[in-house]
Amino acid sequence: MNESSLKDQALLSAVFAKMDVLAMAIATGVLFALGLFAATVVLLLQDVPAGYPVGQHLNELQSYLPGYSVTWAGSIAGLLNGFVIGAIAGFFLALFWNLTHYIALASMLIKTAILAD
Amino acid sequence: MATNKQATTGINQQLLDAAIKFNAKIFGLVSGIFAALALIVMTQISLAMWGEHAGGYLGLLGVFLPGYTVTPSGTLIGAFWAFIFASLGGSLTYWFYGRMLGKNIANYVEKAGNAADPILKPATLRLYGMASGTALGLAIGAALFFSTSWLVIRGTAESSVHAALLSNYLPGYTVSITGGMIGAAELFLLVFVSNVMLAAIYNKVVDIRQGKVS
Repeated sequence: MNESSLKDQALLSAVFAKMDVLAMAIATGVLFALGLFAATVVLLLQDVPAGYPVGQHLNELQSYLPGYSVTWAGSIAGLLNGFVIGAIAGFFLALFWNLTHYIALASMLIKTAILAD
Repeated sequence: MATNKQATTGINQQLLDAAIKFNAKIFGLVSGIFAALALIVMTQISLAMWGEHAGGYLGLLGVFLPGYTVTPSGTLIGAFWAFIFASLGGSLTYWFYGRMLGKNIANYVEKAGNAADPILKPATLRLYGMASGTALGLAIGAALFFSTSWLVIRGTAESSVHAALLSNYLPGYTVSITGGMIGAAELFLLVFVSNVMLAAIYNKVVDIRQGKVS
């Protein structure tokens, strides 16, 4: 194989590389966890009069996320819940990405084979 | 763009353009399916939990997704729009990411001594946080600006109390054109930093799994 072909193949490898499903799940899990934790903490750190309800809207998430509330303890539960949801989202994102590439590449190969015949 | 073209000298620019175009379509498709499924799942959970009273907050999406309501039939209409918007957004985001990747692709290709077979032995994807952060940050920032502008244009800026709550996280944001621009700039920064972090974690885990880090 000449240098030009090798470069083309390396280019295809770089652009059509498969996503590491576990790595993406961990990365999005960490990001969602930190995101929900930070969103909760930002509200808790705001200066509000005593007894004034804090984060009424974000608090609605407790219907979906066990243990979560806009409190310091709830923010820890938010970390865990955020990680699980983020990891699931990342897992499926990577899975979809790889799957669509496999399908597209397979269809290209089939087309090429048909054209060659 | 001129810098990228210069940096990619030595690699097949036509092939690179075609590959980026192809991946932009794939990313658009994946984004569209993901958004549509997410909306369907959220609507169904909401319906299962609150029945007729469902949709207090989720129903607000109907402002941006015409015809969407938190009902079984409304879900399908909402999923259709979610697919359209996310597909377009996803394709444009990847296209921009791909354009910015030019230099990195060239570096990768230069270093690749024995290129893997892209079909039978595909390489593992590496993320470039600066490029993906810029692309996604611009897309999400623009989405905030245009959705805020839409609220202003339809004359519901004053009553958009839920959108105004974003000022808790984006200081200076208001439901106005100027507020939308301020919010978009701040959101761009937030998404950019998040993406750089995401890419760093992802690449680190890939390195560990490939035994490149002890």
